[in-house]
Amino acid sequence: MRKLLKSAVVAAAVIGTSTATLAEDWAPPGPIKMVIAFAAGGGADTQARLIAEELEATQGWKVIPEQVTGKGGLNAVNAVKDAPADGTTIAMIVTSSLGYSMVTAKAGSPQDVTPITTTAGTQMAVVARADKGWSTLGDVIEAAKGGEDIRFGVMSPALGDIAYLVGKENGVDFNIISVKGGKAVMNGLNAGDMDVGFGAGIQAKAVAAGDMVELASARSEPLINSPEAPLLSEYGVNFVSELAFLFAGPKDMDPVARAAIASAIAEVATQEGGKANAFLTKGFGGAMIIAGEELEAVVQKGFESSGALAAAAAE
Amino acid sequence: MADLGTFDYVWLGILAVFQGPEAFSLLGVSVSITVMMVAFGLILGIVVGATPGLGGVIAMAISLPILISIFGFNADALLPVMGFLIGVMKGSTVGGAVPAILFNTPGTPDAYMTTLDGYPMAQSGKARKALKISHFSSVTGDTFSDVVLIVCAPFLAILVEAHLDLPEKTALLILSLSFIAAVVGGSAAKGLLSCGLGLLAVYIGTGEDFYPRLSFGTAALSDGIPITAAVIGVLVIGAIFSELENLWAQKRQTGAIQVAKEEGDQRLHWADIRRIFPYIGRSALIGTTIGALPGVGSTLAATIGYATSKRLYTKTKKPGDPAFGQGAPEGIAATEAANSSVSGANLIPVLSLGIPGNTAAVFLILAAESIGGFNPGPAVFQFSSDLNPELVIAFGLFTTMILANLLNWTVGGVFMRSLGVLVRIPKQYLLPVVLLLTLASLYVQETSMSAIWFAFGFGILGYFMMRFAISPLPFVIGFILGGRIEDTARQAFSATGGDPWFLFKSPIAAMFMLCALAVIFVSLRKPKGDMP
Amino acid sequence: MRNLSASTALGLGCIAFALILAFIWIPLDVETWLVERKRGRYIVGDSLAPTLAAAFILLAGVMLWFERRSRDPRPTRQNLTFIGAISFFGLVGILLMRWSGPVVTSVFGAEEYRLLRDTAPWKYIGFVLGGSTMVFCIVSFVEQRVSWRAFWVALAAVVGIIALYDLPFDDVLLPPNGDV
Repeated sequence: MRKLLKSAVVAAAVIGTSTATLAEDWAPPGPIKMVIAFAAGGGADTQARLIAEELEATQGWKVIPEQVTGKGGLNAVNAVKDAPADGTTIAMIVTSSLGYSMVTAKAGSPQDVTPITTTAGTQMAVVARADKGWSTLGDVIEAAKGGEDIRFGVMSPALGDIAYLVGKENGVDFNIISVKGGKAVMNGLNAGDMDVGFGAGIQAKAVAAGDMVELASARSEPLINSPEAPLLSEYGVNFVSELAFLFAGPKDMDPVARAAIASAIAEVATQEGGKANAFLTKGFGGAMIIAGEELEAVVQKGFESSGALAAAAAE
Repeated sequence: MADLGTFDYVWLGILAVFQGPEAFSLLGVSVSITVMMVAFGLILGIVVGATPGLGGVIAMAISLPILISIFGFNADALLPVMGFLIGVMKGSTVGGAVPAILFNTPGTPDAYMTTLDGYPMAQSGKARKALKISHFSSVTGDTFSDVVLIVCAPFLAILVEAHLDLPEKTALLILSLSFIAAVVGGSAAKGLLSCGLGLLAVYIGTGEDFYPRLSFGTAALSDGIPITAAVIGVLVIGAIFSELENLWAQKRQTGAIQVAKEEGDQRLHWADIRRIFPYIGRSALIGTTIGALPGVGSTLAATIGYATSKRLYTKTKKPGDPAFGQGAPEGIAATEAANSSVSGANLIPVLSLGIPGNTAAVFLILAAESIGGFNPGPAVFQFSSDLNPELVIAFGLFTTMILANLLNWTVGGVFMRSLGVLVRIPKQYLLPVVLLLTLASLYVQETSMSAIWFAFGFGILGYFMMRFAISPLPFVIGFILGGRIEDTARQAFSATGGDPWFLFKSPIAAMFMLCALAVIFVSLRKPKGDMP
Repeated sequence: MRNLSASTALGLGCIAFALILAFIWIPLDVETWLVERKRGRYIVGDSLAPTLAAAFILLAGVMLWFERRSRDPRPTRQNLTFIGAISFFGLVGILLMRWSGPVVTSVFGAEEYRLLRDTAPWKYIGFVLGGSTMVFCIVSFVEQRVSWRAFWVALAAVVGIIALYDLPFDDVLLPPNGDV
């Protein structure tokens, strides 16, 4: 698990001292528009709204949330990329918006926006209902080999590709069902419309209650809740899904504004006892703050590996 | 946590309503915000119902964004907001009878049949009694209908979830849509057209590809059309335009209002109740049955309830009693019980299948979608052993309905009878103000000027649809269900491994599809009157 | 010779629109066909659902030709006059709402409107001007006369809506302040 970085550390580590001093005194020249790339009421949306609320409380800024959903976050990216770069427009997206979505849509590059900071990661797992009797992804593959039709629920094209590759590497053919949002996968599993599916963390409660099991980790490291679940690499698939939620601003954003917003968000996300922190801990395994050049590198790497994933699945 | 059973969920739902955040405490009893919001909603509903030109739909359209601003986008907001909307829904049904009885002007379209006997009663000096009868019948019908809803919806949902797979669900959605298109309004062809336009509108700018389909490459269409803008435009703004035109065309003054004097006994006796009760019972049954079918409105229920009762009454009435249409209390009872009992049953398809059957249900879905955390549909009724918050909300909603009925029984009647004065508000001032208020509320929710443009444009579309006698309801329901039909069909197609005949492979799905065709075909063959 | 009834004309219009939709608009303006091949399987493409909508409209158009009817409602010239006038007032009102704030600010304000959109009195300019114009014009048109009463009603309505939304809620923005 990634170390939780405190806001002070972030401010010192990722930004030069001069910018940091300036950033402390920075205030937005007007209300900040916060574009949210996720549907109202979901986990990601709630996260963004709580952060907005606490930014207003702690910094005294005025933050106006606005929903711009769809196209894997690209609509939100388009809404901010040409906005004024003075820190009055930011967007809450997910790393794959700047990765897989951009690659497959052939729409721009991560440099079109300025990544500000991540807020949380995901616990991406392959999940099934416990009464199916499976304990690892291997059991599912066996069942498929035995002639059973397996329906695999996914909530993004990238996950669809991963599911397809799992099948392909192991000589089986899944019926891959794409739905909108992790909640829809859970409903599909519960209703019996799907046999297995991806869960980004929403499954935590059901797993704890014993209603669902995590059959594999789709991350590069084991899951927090099911450390014994195998990695996808054990099934010959070397692609992973390590999404993180992040805020981004327009292209060539003012560095002072960027640093100030990054440290303010890091502060509310890691503030113990705060609403945003409590929510991140409950739904996403805790806050995860990556900012500055490190974040740029993470985003760039995601962009490049997405190309490889799409190419592998297109073969 | 211990395993949760059915009754635990019912109890949690009741607690969620009464033990939510406290609004204030009255004589040491704490009153939760949800309870307060249900009461507010009911009062607002009675007021708008009693104001000619306004109605529950407009009130819901305007109040939804305010409520969301107050309560925010989280699951705690669901019960207060939806409780309020339910209050408005129930209140406006009751309130619609006030101007119908007192001034021969139906406050809502449903109340038209009430004028037939209500106004003659008022003219003969029995206005208060007529109002009491209307209130009693309305609330009785409503309560009956809610009981049916609470009993049926969970079972239906569980049945659907247990027996219907993705292809069957797709077929069921298609069947509902064609049923709505065929039965709403006077013409199946026009219903189908309305529905087709709604589908087309929702498919613009959406879809799975990265290029936003049918958007002509424009930025304005690339995010799709906001659902609130489309619904409120066609349904509310179109109706405002149409109403304004009547005023403009007539250019008439509202004129002096005649107030009938009250004479004789105004009380509602047990003998009266016994006399009208069979009529209420029959109409409640008719209304509930009709209400359970998506898209068949309260106007039809009122018409059938009135007609059936008239036939019976003519055979059994004593000489000297007023005939139907000349001030018979039974006429009011039959109408009001029928149109009120539609509202509860109409939520059966919403809560168990996620299919809205009427405009009030449309707003409940809109509220749920805007707030998030509650997706009306069969998935709600999963009695899982770890807490399923949506199920608690569902039982919470049932509780707010019962609560609204209780309030309606007690204070609703008194309040309603004091509202005759509202008919004097000149509509030519009221409606333009309501138009601006609607646009402002829409903006508050969507924060985008394009939503205002869309709403205004869809208002013009709604206006033209009415001038062609095309009902806007199938449009709205097509718009709401369009996305789900596409998603479910995509999933069903993928789940069956790309079988092009997935809609006809299973007997249930094939039967649904046959019914869908049959409904359209039958309604084409059968000539119908032009219903409003 | 028989007159073309409104329903028949409407039916003809529907059929034509549905055909244009299905054979021109959808193929040219949607990326994928009815089905597409992805990951070795056929999946539903983005054209399928709009084609279904076109099928509904087409079927409606055909049915309009055959359906028996007692009435033949259609918009009259009077209807067109009315809706034309209302659309014009709406257009003027919404344009004023959107642009009067930025225009006034560019002349008198110290900063651009975007930064002042949450600051009184600038933030009210557009809504007050646009909203009251819209209400005043529609009332006057419907009454067929211009009166002070209409003016006061319009002003009171705008002030009332500001009092309803803007004053009690800190994070609610009136048009056009959310997306300038």
